[in-house]
Amino acid sequence: MKNILKFSERPEFQNPSLIVGWQEDSGKLSPKVIEYLNKKIKGRSFCEIEPVSFFSLAGVAIKDNIAQFPENKFYYCERNDLVIFKGSEPRFERYKFLNAIADLAQHHCKVKELYTISGTISPIAHTSPRRISAVFNQKQFQEKLQGYGLQDMNWEGTPAISSYLLWVAKRRGIPAVSLWPEIPFYLAASDDFQAIKLTLSFLDKKFNLDLDFNELNEDITNQNALIEQLREEDSEINKYIGMLESELSISEEEQVELTMKVTAILEKS
Amino acid sequence: MGIKLYKEPELENPVMFCGWPGIGNIGIGAIDNLRAVLKAQEFAEIEPWDFFEPRKVSIERGLLKDLEFPSSKFYFQRISNQDLIFFIGQEQPAEGRIKYAEGKKAYKMANLVLDVAEKFGCRRVYTSGAAVTQIHHTVKPRVWAVPNKQSLIGEIKQYENTILMSEIEGSGRQGAITGLNGLLLGVAKKRGLEAICLMGEIPYYLQGAPWPYPKGSKSVLEILTKILDVRIDLRPLDELANTVEENVEEFLESLYKAEAIPPQVRDEIEKLRYARPTEPGPITKEEQNEMMKHIDELFKEGGWQDEKHP
Repeated sequence: MKNILKFSERPEFQNPSLIVGWQEDSGKLSPKVIEYLNKKIKGRSFCEIEPVSFFSLAGVAIKDNIAQFPENKFYYCERNDLVIFKGSEPRFERYKFLNAIADLAQHHCKVKELYTISGTISPIAHTSPRRISAVFNQKQFQEKLQGYGLQDMNWEGTPAISSYLLWVAKRRGIPAVSLWPEIPFYLAASDDFQAIKLTLSFLDKKFNLDLDFNELNEDITNQNALIEQLREEDSEINKYIGMLESELSISEEEQVELTMKVTAILEKS
Repeated sequence: MGIKLYKEPELENPVMFCGWPGIGNIGIGAIDNLRAVLKAQEFAEIEPWDFFEPRKVSIERGLLKDLEFPSSKFYFQRISNQDLIFFIGQEQPAEGRIKYAEGKKAYKMANLVLDVAEKFGCRRVYTSGAAVTQIHHTVKPRVWAVPNKQSLIGEIKQYENTILMSEIEGSGRQGAITGLNGLLLGVAKKRGLEAICLMGEIPYYLQGAPWPYPKGSKSVLEILTKILDVRIDLRPLDELANTVEENVEEFLESLYKAEAIPPQVRDEIEKLRYARPTEPGPITKEEQNEMMKHIDELFKEGGWQDEKHP
C-alpha cells in the first residue's frame, strides 16, 4: 500500500470518524454533501490514492465541457475528529482500492467509525417525507446510532461500492455504516437539495458541526417552486406527481416523461 | 492472496482434475460431475477477492450479512488406491471487461492451483474444455486431447474417441487453447508437471448459446472414467443431453419457420447432420463465417471464447 497512498501532510488525529463520498451519485448527493462539508469545516487535503492500476488512464473523459480526471483525496480539519474522503469509483482492482482506504483509516488515522454516503433512487414524490436507509457492519454500531431516525435496509443483489467498503471494514473490525438517503427518481440526474440537506442534518447532529442551512434552504425553495410551476403548466406532470404523492405507481413511459421534463426545467434554471 | 487449507489430507501421488466454466460448460460439466459422483470432500479454496468481484450482498434488517464471491475450491477422494484432487472454479479470473481468463490474474490463479498440486505431490493434471468445430448437434462429439509433453502422445492415442491436433483436418498440427485450460497446461509445463487438456466437441453454431452442452461433457467423462478405471452412471447426463438436443432441434426449427436465418444457412447446418465425424468439414470456412454472422446475432452477446478454435 506504500506506493498507493501519497501523503502531502501528516496531521495528528484523535480517533476521528471517516466520511466517504463518491464523485458520481444519484441526485449528486454524495459529491455535494462532501463538497458542502469540506467547505464548512475548511477541509485540507493531506493524502491521495494514486490512480494508476485503478482507472483507465488512456486519456481523459470530458463532462460538461471540462476534462475530468479521477480524484481520490483525503481531507482533515482543525477539529481533528473528522476525516473526509472524496473519491471516484475505481474501474479496476476495487478490492485493492478499498483496502487502501481502510489502511489509511486503520493505520494512519486510527478511525473509530466509518460512514459512506450514497443516494438510493426511490419511487417517491419530491414532496414526500424523505428517509435515510442505513446498513451497518456491526450490531453494536447499529444500536449506538438508534435515535437518529435511520431506517434499517433489507436487500440482496449486486453490491454497490459502499457495501463493498463496509465489508472490507468489517473484516478489519472497523465499525461502519452506509447511509442511503432516498432520491425521487425524477431528481436523480439533478441536484436533490432536499436529500443533501437531510444527509447533512444527520451529520450535523452526529458530529455537532453547527452547519448553516440557509443557502440549502433557499436552493430547496427555488427547486420546489420550479417543479410547482411545471405542475401548474403541465397537467400530465401534475397528475404523475400527484399519483406518486398518493403512493400510486406510474408507468415506465410516464416515469420517463416526468424525469425528462423535470430535468429540463431544472437544467434551464 | 492465497490458499485457505481447511485440512491437509494425506495423499499419495494424486491426479488433479480442473474445471472452469466455458463454452457449453463442457469442461466443468465433466469434471464437476465426476467430483459429485465420487463424493469428493472439500479441503481448500483460493481466496477470491483478488481475482473476482463480489456477486451478491445480503443485507438483513440493516445489517450487512455477507458478500458472496465466485468460489475456487479443491476437493479430494481416494478410489481403488488412487488419490484424486478436483479443482472447481465458478468463474475464470478476468481483467477489465474480458470474459475469459488472461493476464496477471489468470497466471496467478494457475500458479496457485499448481501450488496445491505440487504440495500434495500430484503426478498429473487434467483440464477440460470445449473444441468448437463443424459437427452437428445430433452427432457424438469426439474429444480433442492436447498434452504438454511429447511423452504423453502414446498414451493419448490409446484413448477411445479421442484425437490429437495432428489428426484434425486443416489444423496444420497447430492451434491454441485460450483461457485457464490452456494456461494451466503451459504453467504446468514450466514446472515440469505432466498435464493434458481434454476438449469435448461442440457445434460451432452453438458456441454462443446460453445453455450447456452435456453431450460434449459426456464424451470427456467417458475418457476420464476409462483413465481412472471407474464406472459411473452416465444416465443423468444422457437425459440432460437428450433434453438439450430436443431443445436445440426445436429452437432451430422455430428459426427456420420464422425465416430468422436464411435458407442457405439452414442447408449448411443440415449438411452437417449427415457428415461422418472423421470427414473433413462438409462446408467451407467462408460458409461457416457466413452462418456465424446469423447465428451469433440470435444468441446476442455470444459466449465464452476461451477454448479451442481451429
